Amino acid sequence: MADESAPAGTATETDPVEAPADEQPGTALAPTEGTAPALVEPQVPMLPGEVQPHPTPVKYVMIAAILVAVTAAEIGLYYLQGDVPDGLIIVFLLTFAVIKFGLVASWYMHLKTDRPIFRRFFVLGVVAAISLYLIVLTMLHVFSP
Amino acid sequence: MTTDQVAVPSEHDVVKAGHDAPATGMGVSNTKLAMWLFLSSDCLFFGAFISAYLFYRGRPQPGPHPADVYNIPFTSVTSFILLMSSLTMVLALAAIMRGDYRRLRVWLLATALFGATFIGGQVFEFTEFYRQGFTLSKNLSGSTFFVLTGLHGAHVTAGIIWLLSLWGLATQGRLTSRDSERVEIAGLYWHFVDVVWIVIFTVVYLIPK
Amino acid sequence: MTTVSDTVRAPARRLRVLRRPQATTGFWSWFTTIDHKKIGIMYGTTALAFFVIGGVEALLLRLQLAGPNGTLLTAAQYNELFTMHGTTMIFLMGMPLAVAFGNYLIPLQIGARDVAFPRLNAFGYWGFLMGGLFIYSSFFIGGSAPNGGWFGYTPLTSTPLGRGFLPGHGADFWAVGIVMLGIASTTSAINFIVTVLQLRAPGMTLMRMPVFTWMMLVTAFLTLFAMPIITAALIMVYFDRNIGTNFFQPAAGADPLLYQNLFWLFGHPEVYILILPGMGIVSEILPVFSRKPLFGYPVVVFSGIAIGFIGWGVWAHHMFATGLGPVAISAFALSTMIIAVPTGVKIFNWLATVWRGAVRLKTAMLFALGFIAMFTLGGLSGVLHSVVPADTQQTDTYFVVAHFHYVLFGGLVFGLFGGFYYWFPKLYGRFLDERLGKFNFWTMLLGFNLTFFPMHFVGLLGMPRRTYRYDTGLGWDFLNQLETIGAFVIALSVLAFIVNVMVSRRHGQVSGDDPWDARTLEWTTPSPPPMYNFAEIPQVEARDDFWHHKYTEDETGHAVRLPSGAAVAVEERPAGGDGGGEHGGEEHGDGHGIHMPSPSYFPFIVALGLPILGYAAVFQAVWLVPIGALVVLFGMYAWGIEPQTEP
Repeated sequence: MADESAPAGTATETDPVEAPADEQPGTALAPTEGTAPALVEPQVPMLPGEVQPHPTPVKYVMIAAILVAVTAAEIGLYYLQGDVPDGLIIVFLLTFAVIKFGLVASWYMHLKTDRPIFRRFFVLGVVAAISLYLIVLTMLHVFSP
Repeated sequence: MTTDQVAVPSEHDVVKAGHDAPATGMGVSNTKLAMWLFLSSDCLFFGAFISAYLFYRGRPQPGPHPADVYNIPFTSVTSFILLMSSLTMVLALAAIMRGDYRRLRVWLLATALFGATFIGGQVFEFTEFYRQGFTLSKNLSGSTFFVLTGLHGAHVTAGIIWLLSLWGLATQGRLTSRDSERVEIAGLYWHFVDVVWIVIFTVVYLIPK
Repeated sequence: MTTVSDTVRAPARRLRVLRRPQATTGFWSWFTTIDHKKIGIMYGTTALAFFVIGGVEALLLRLQLAGPNGTLLTAAQYNELFTMHGTTMIFLMGMPLAVAFGNYLIPLQIGARDVAFPRLNAFGYWGFLMGGLFIYSSFFIGGSAPNGGWFGYTPLTSTPLGRGFLPGHGADFWAVGIVMLGIASTTSAINFIVTVLQLRAPGMTLMRMPVFTWMMLVTAFLTLFAMPIITAALIMVYFDRNIGTNFFQPAAGADPLLYQNLFWLFGHPEVYILILPGMGIVSEILPVFSRKPLFGYPVVVFSGIAIGFIGWGVWAHHMFATGLGPVAISAFALSTMIIAVPTGVKIFNWLATVWRGAVRLKTAMLFALGFIAMFTLGGLSGVLHSVVPADTQQTDTYFVVAHFHYVLFGGLVFGLFGGFYYWFPKLYGRFLDERLGKFNFWTMLLGFNLTFFPMHFVGLLGMPRRTYRYDTGLGWDFLNQLETIGAFVIALSVLAFIVNVMVSRRHGQVSGDDPWDARTLEWTTPSPPPMYNFAEIPQVEARDDFWHHKYTEDETGHAVRLPSGAAVAVEERPAGGDGGGEHGGEEHGDGHGIHMPSPSYFPFIVALGLPILGYAAVFQAVWLVPIGALVVLFGMYAWGIEPQTEP
């Protein structure tokens, strides 16, 4: 019931709450109840399994603003196609895509504040996909003139 | 808690045995772990279609070619809408965790609506492409483009149905902050679908050649 | 802005569509069970049935090839039979049997009461059954069973119906059916991974887990990442056939190598998905029947992981003859040679386990030793394939057929049979008959070698694969005769096994809980285990914890039996069936009130929707789509709102 009594709409960020590993909720020892028994009363409610309080709504909106800005830059770059060498455009566009991917994964999907295991598995999938398919495309001569 | 972790040894078991054997589970939610595993798997699924697109894009084939028909301004707008739907999704999660159920419903519905708008935009876009002669069976790129974006759209649609179901539960008061994780997991799926679009938009629409 | 007031009231009545099934015994309980042990038995029984069917298909092939210019089968029939033989053995026997063992054993071996997602587990089984039945229904409807080979190369399979060389809807059934099976496999993989990572008993660290569980974990990861690739490839094939796409249409300028790359990106990890569980089983049997711990446990585990990892880097060795160019083929030849190393490491560790052990040559042990010998032979022919110039001659000949049957039959199947003999007492409380078992083993060893060893020669003499008849005078006649005889010896062996199972279930010698004096946790439970597996979750203090509770070592290193009071978890209660009771396993008398997850209709219902959608896809029957979708969605919704466990 702790959730219902937590202060609603708290918008301030707190210092990360470092709960010792063996008090993480949902361990083999503690039946999961759905709330995080943290050492310090969290000002931002945490999801079970999170090691730091996850971002606040303000943070989310800030991330959204960055995403919009990067997207705008991408579109701008698209229209510079005649004037800027293609190679450069590709590098920048891919970088922007990686930045956006990273922002959404880290902040919206909570990879930054969650247990590392999720990040590791997801990265494994992404890296596996990129490596394998890059090799396939190379073998199919997509990158050679 | 919806994810009853059955079969997790209880404290009772450990205490009764009188031993100090360390806990060995990863200590995370089963369902969340399952969703992340599924998402990593889905990376390989989309990767195959993106690769097929990249492979065939450069090959000689009759037109129209994708670059001839793309309407970047239009697609930028729909992409932007999908991107914003991730924001509304995560705001919905924040709302349910705080116990703010009115905002939960608002943000859930907003996310679903943004998603539906994205799909609507794609339908319009594809109709336009067809009108211009760029179709599924026209050439190699037509096939790879429409199947890739179509499968992505199918993923989005499944997500919309999922979100609307959650919204329905929320309107009946059956979604409380104890169910935050259900919203979080729907959110993970939704963000993934958005992230895949980030890749598709860049690689398929924007990157030259 | 706190809006707690309007919605905090608990819903007055739970949303409920159907009354929750409660029975855990009886015929109908099998449809709603979510007990991993029952699900394991269902997987195993169904997979064995498919094994027999696949075997009959092989016998027909062998009859056709027994002599030159055979007339038993037409070319079209032959194509269906070899396609279905391969598809059946790989997707409907090999993978499901591994999952059967995994299902039954993983929770027991890690000290858990069930898997992480019991209903999803049941869905995995029903999806498998539906997929298998769906594919086999093509023998009766649609004009043809799958007939483009188990690997379905394009553009042969991707040409729309009526415009190509494959008659009938076989390729559609194949593409759609395998996607269906892939969904089931992927859910099963996710389930196993979460189970192993999250539900281990206190003290059961990863490096204390039984090797079988470790191998299933690696296999689950391989499955998780490989299935989406083939799903994508088959969707492309299906779309080419049915909605007019050009993924593999030569007229549009498409490249068949796209398919081959995608297929083998899946296909090679697939063979490790098949073999690793068998290796895990062998790693369990050898220590018990040598009365010695597994030699080099960490190395065996890491080798399994290495095989799983490197296995992703060898796929193009299936494409050496396609003109990849010198750089590509050199790279893949190298990686293929490298993967022999961790494989060899495992073999040496197994040998070292048996060396100087107090070996008991029970049937299970015979099969495990047979695995080592036969798999080694198969591995040797595999390394020969890695030499590209040699492979260029061997490819598409029976030499390859010999290779993969040595590793998959001599390897995996022998391992699985060893597993049957080893764990049968745990499942049923009775031994499989040893004399019949030895007959089973020796006839299988003889029949197997008689069938497949000559294929090395006949392949090097140029006999091509997938060809329904051959002319006389090529030097192949006698060897093919031998092979056909061998196939019937195998059939005799399998018959002996089936008889053994049927008789021993009722009349086999009673075994007790720990008949082999084994090492792992499943042997601490009654035979068969109660529904809840363990009355008390075990506390694990070492690898092979059970063994250490039974034995200690004296100064000379010999095992000394501890007094039975020190043994853990010797269950006094009678070996029951499902732990009794209407409500999920509350055992009278143990006082714990262990709550087990409740049975459910919905895994079966969701699975039922899959073939409906499948038929819609194959026959382009649009009207079936809403029906199938409705069944699936209804099942998923109802599943989503019912709690895992009824209070």
